[in-house]
Formats: sequence, structure tokens, C-alpha cells
Amino acid sequence: MSALRHAAFLALASLRHAWKRSALLVVVLGLSLGLPVALSTLLETASRDMRARAAVAPLVLGAKGSESDLVFGALFFATRAPDNLAMRDLARVETRDADRDPTETRTRGPLAFAVPIALGATARKTPVVGTTLDYFDRRALAPAEGQFFATISDCVVGAGAARALGLAPGDKLFTDPESLSNLAGVFPLELRVTGVLPATGTPDDGVIFVDLPTMWTIRGLGHRHDDPTQATTPGALMAKDGANAIASEALKIERSATEAPAPDFHFHGSIDAFPIDAALVFPRDAKAQAILLGRFTGKDEALQLVRPDLFVERVLDRIFGVGRVLGAVALATTALVALVVATAFALSIRLRADELALMKRLGASRARVAAFLAVEAMMLLSAAVAVAAVVAATAPLFADAVLRAASGV
Amino acid sequence: MTHPAHTHHGQAHGTPADPAGPANLLVTTDLVFRRTTGGAEGGGAKEGGAEGASAAAIFELRVPAVALSAGASLAVRGPSGSGKSTFLALLSGELLPAEGSVRVVLDGGAETGRTQKGKTHELGALSDGARRAYRARHVGQVFQTFELVASLDLLENVLLPFRLHPALVLDGAARARAAELVARVGLRGKERRTIDRLSHGERQRVAIARALVARPSIVLADEPTGNLDPALKKEIAALLLEEVRAAGAALVVATHDESILGSFDRVLAIGGAS
Repeated sequence: MSALRHAAFLALASLRHAWKRSALLVVVLGLSLGLPVALSTLLETASRDMRARAAVAPLVLGAKGSESDLVFGALFFATRAPDNLAMRDLARVETRDADRDPTETRTRGPLAFAVPIALGATARKTPVVGTTLDYFDRRALAPAEGQFFATISDCVVGAGAARALGLAPGDKLFTDPESLSNLAGVFPLELRVTGVLPATGTPDDGVIFVDLPTMWTIRGLGHRHDDPTQATTPGALMAKDGANAIASEALKIERSATEAPAPDFHFHGSIDAFPIDAALVFPRDAKAQAILLGRFTGKDEALQLVRPDLFVERVLDRIFGVGRVLGAVALATTALVALVVATAFALSIRLRADELALMKRLGASRARVAAFLAVEAMMLLSAAVAVAAVVAATAPLFADAVLRAASGV
Repeated sequence: MTHPAHTHHGQAHGTPADPAGPANLLVTTDLVFRRTTGGAEGGGAKEGGAEGASAAAIFELRVPAVALSAGASLAVRGPSGSGKSTFLALLSGELLPAEGSVRVVLDGGAETGRTQKGKTHELGALSDGARRAYRARHVGQVFQTFELVASLDLLENVLLPFRLHPALVLDGAARARAAELVARVGLRGKERRTIDRLSHGERQRVAIARALVARPSIVLADEPTGNLDPALKKEIAALLLEEVRAAGAALVVATHDESILGSFDRVLAIGGAS
């Protein structure tokens, strides 16, 4: 024991004396040991998160096209699918299956329930998601602070976004303009934070939720302005034809949030035709799910109904395929690095040949000298393992980046 | 290439010649050591390095008879390559003679192997472990190039022998002894200095303190003044003699420095020195 204690003392002194060399060996070895473990942990965490998110909704409805854009948009708010979906399309999954079984549908109601998702806007670079309060019912989410949105320009902020942007109920923020160079584009809309959601460790944390009318207003489909016939702005009213008034560009369009409900907010056109990007579909039962999936298989079908769980499994297969290759490369690198580090250590021993010879001349046995070197190597290895553990432990923090990479954002 | 040896100061050749007398006898030698270059041993077993021989030649060192008692001092003089360091290595058991022997009287302690207190042992007959124990427990060594460990501070360099062999126990007494020696060699207050912050003279003092810290019976010093300026040479030589005498040990110094020879009880000339 005493021999080990003395060996440890001398080894520590030696490592401290050449601390730059020691630190380099520890970091290089630690990283090479930690990276394969980190890669594996990262993929496990990312796949667990992806599977959990895919389980949020059994089906996702969207315009026909990229399945990936649809799922990552509807569930991860990562990409925006082409908005070829309109509010009226929701009726196609919410109708009864009257054609096939009129008796059953009378007693059991619609085949599915749909929650619309509208994307495509940001506020302070944070995605804004338009949906209905049903989304929060399905996710069993209620604000940790404040309350849900109640009117146009209200918003509820995810925990991560609230932390990142420093938002709390009562705060206001503007949506980002579509393009600074596009003068004909949509102007920013001021949002009022009514609530902050609890942290869930899901994509819900990183976005700002608004209701659909707010999202349409952000996109320029709805707005609030003075009555042109009553407008005080000179030149605001260009012409009046019975009940119709033609306003000029001088008419002031209000884009700021108001505390009170805005009765003069209005939309031009039919709400049924208003765009959404996707819908989360919750079938009544397995049979209803099968019926619905069958409905969207036609060649000329403009919409697609996707099972996100199967889609995510296919994505994970690809990711793990790449992960296995990376893992093999990382292991080979680790072996190579271990060889290099061992060589460097052996070289450092040769450089200290005089010191080791001195120990023998002063009476140290070969075993004592070997113990000294072994303890020094073990100390380096232990420190490297600690570095590797830190690297592996921080890997899950980057799972979100994997999700982003997988979704192509 | 043969290097005979003979003693001066009243004792010519042969039998134990030690002013301290046979009662305190520590070491007696009567040996021949041979070595060839190229790795093959010419007779003597080699455990560590020693002063070299010329290429492809047999190096032979003959030391007819030397006896050394406690408190005695012996200077070994001769030109470079004459075998001075080899003789010290033979006394420490690092090298073994081809003929003859180095006999040591051990005073017990914690020797390993089959040594017994008060008995005379021939170093060549001891196991490797027992010779290492003899070296750790009974021999203090001062090397020509100091041989201090750069990763340890001054005090830990002095204490180094205690960390290298189980025969030596690093306890309070050992630490007190080290502190006392550091003070005696004039380095009090510099205990925690690293070696690179010490001057040549200070490093040699550290080496002397380390050689004495385990209370050895015999101190072997190889050119202890070789790298020092003239003023410092006499000071270090005097310090070494004073401290070894104070410790009651025998001192053997290999040197080719004529200016310090007068300080020793006897001088052994080897390699054609007269």
C-alpha cells in the first residue's frame, strides 16, 4: 500500500511537471474514447425523442408531396409543407363513413378528429405555430403561467422560447417581416403574450402558439382598419358605391396588439378556403384509421395521410445506418488514437530514462519502477475516462441538432 | 588496457589500510573487474552503467585490497576512463567483479534477501533484491551530474530514497532528518523550490543531503566537484566531508581534482595516476 502511495505521489508529480503533455494526452484520449459513446447516446436520445413525438398523433394530413416535410412540419414545426391544404379539407377526415356503413356511423360519430397546424411565420426568429385549443387538449398542456390565447394577436409561448426571448405573460413582440426588401409583403403583427407553457422537452418548448385567425392575419389574410367612410385620414376614401367603399393606400392598417377584442378585425374571403399546412388526425379507432388511410391512396388524390410512427422508423433506420458507419469509424479512430497515445507515453518514458535509471541506482526494484509508470498511465487513463464521460453525458444536449439535421433544417 | 590501483598516505598495497581500524570495518575489496565493449561481459556482471572502455578493447580494473571503516574517507583519483566510477559502482553492488570480491558488513536494518546483522556478506553472493536493499539502506550516492528529479521540489528530492525502497520508511523522523540536512547544507527556506530554480552549487548540496538522508554506512561521491567553479569546489568538498563525518559514515570520492585530495584520509590511485 505504501509502495502504491509513493508511486502515486511520484506519478502525480511527474504528470504535474509536464502538465501540457499530460493535458494533451488526456484530452486526445478522452475525446477518442468519449466520441463513440457520445454518438451512440446521441442517436439513442434522438431516436427516443423522435419516437415520442411521432406518437403525438396517429396520423398527419397534408398536401401530397414530401412525406418528410409534412411530418417534420406538423409534429416538429421544423419545415413548412406547401400550403395546399385548406380548412375545408379537414372535413374529409372528420366525416362519417356513411357510404360503407350508414348504421354504424349514426351511433359512433365521425371517423376522426383533426387539429389544424399552420406554419410559416416567425417572431424574433422563433417559429410561430397557428392551431386551435384542441392541440393543447390532445397534448394535455395548460399554461404554467398566464392563460391560453383568447383573441387575435394573443400568443402562448413554449418554455424554451420564453426563456430564450425573455418573455412572460403581458409582454409583446412583433412577428418578423417576410422580407425587408419586399415592400408589398406582409407587415409585422404585434403579438401579446397571454401565457407560457411548461417545459416538456419536446418541440412545443421552442415555438410560439397563436390561433388560426392570428396566423392568417400575420399572413395578411385578415386585418383591422378604420372604416373608410369614417376615416379622418385625408384621401382614405377613394369612392363609395352603395354599401361598398373603396379605400386608398392612405387608409391606416392597424397591426398592433390590443387588450380588448377587436371587433373590426375581418378577413377577406371564405374561411373554408383559408390555408393551413397540416392537420394532426386522431381516428376514432383502429377501424376508422384503416378506412381513412384507404381514402387517400388514390392516384389523383391531392392530399396524403401519413402514419408518423412508420415514417419516423424509416428515418431512424437511415440515421442508424449512418450512425453504424460513423460508430465504426469512431472506433477505428479510438484504436488509432490509443496507439498514438501509447507511443507518446512510451516516448516520454524513454525521455525520462535518466530519471528511471536513477531510481534503480538508488535501490528501487524493477517492480517499483514499473509500478510508478503503471500508476502514471492509470492516472492518465482515469482522467481520459472522466473526459470521455463528460463528452458522453453532454451528447443528449445535441439530440435536437440531430432532429434538425434529420429534418433538413 | 589494464588499470592497476595503489594506495598512498602510508599504506602501499594489500591488506586493510584504514586509520579507523578493523573494529569498525565496513567494506573490504580485493577485485578484478573486466568488461569489453559491444555488450559482451569480460567477466564482471553488470547491473548498471559505468565509466566506459575504448572500442573493441577489454577494460580491466585491478584493485588489490581496500578496506574502509566507519568515519574514514578515501579519494579515488585517476584520469577520465581509468575506472573511478566503475570502482564506485562495484562498491555499491551495481557492478560485480570478475575475480575477487566486495565484502560488506551489514548492521541489520530491513535488508531483504538472506543477509544477517553483523555478518560479512559478499555482494556477488547476494540476490539482486538484496543488493538493491543494501544500496538503498547502506549506501548514499552523490552523482557527478547531481541526478535530481525535475518534477520534485528540493525537499522531495532529498526524501526520494524513502519513496523507492520498502527498507526505508517515510515517517516523521525521516522528514525531520531531511529538514535538518537541508538546513545543514545551507538551504533552509528553499525547501519547496523546484530544481530548475537552484544554482549549480545548491543542486550539489541537495544531492549531498539526499545521499545522507537515510543514514547510510558508506557515501560514494562521483566527481562531486566536477561541474563547479574553483571557489565552490573546496566549499562543497569540505561540506561533504563534514556532513559524512557528522553522520559517522565512510566516504569514497572519485575525483581527478588534485586540489581537494589533501582533505582525505587516504588516496587510491588507479589508471596510472601517481
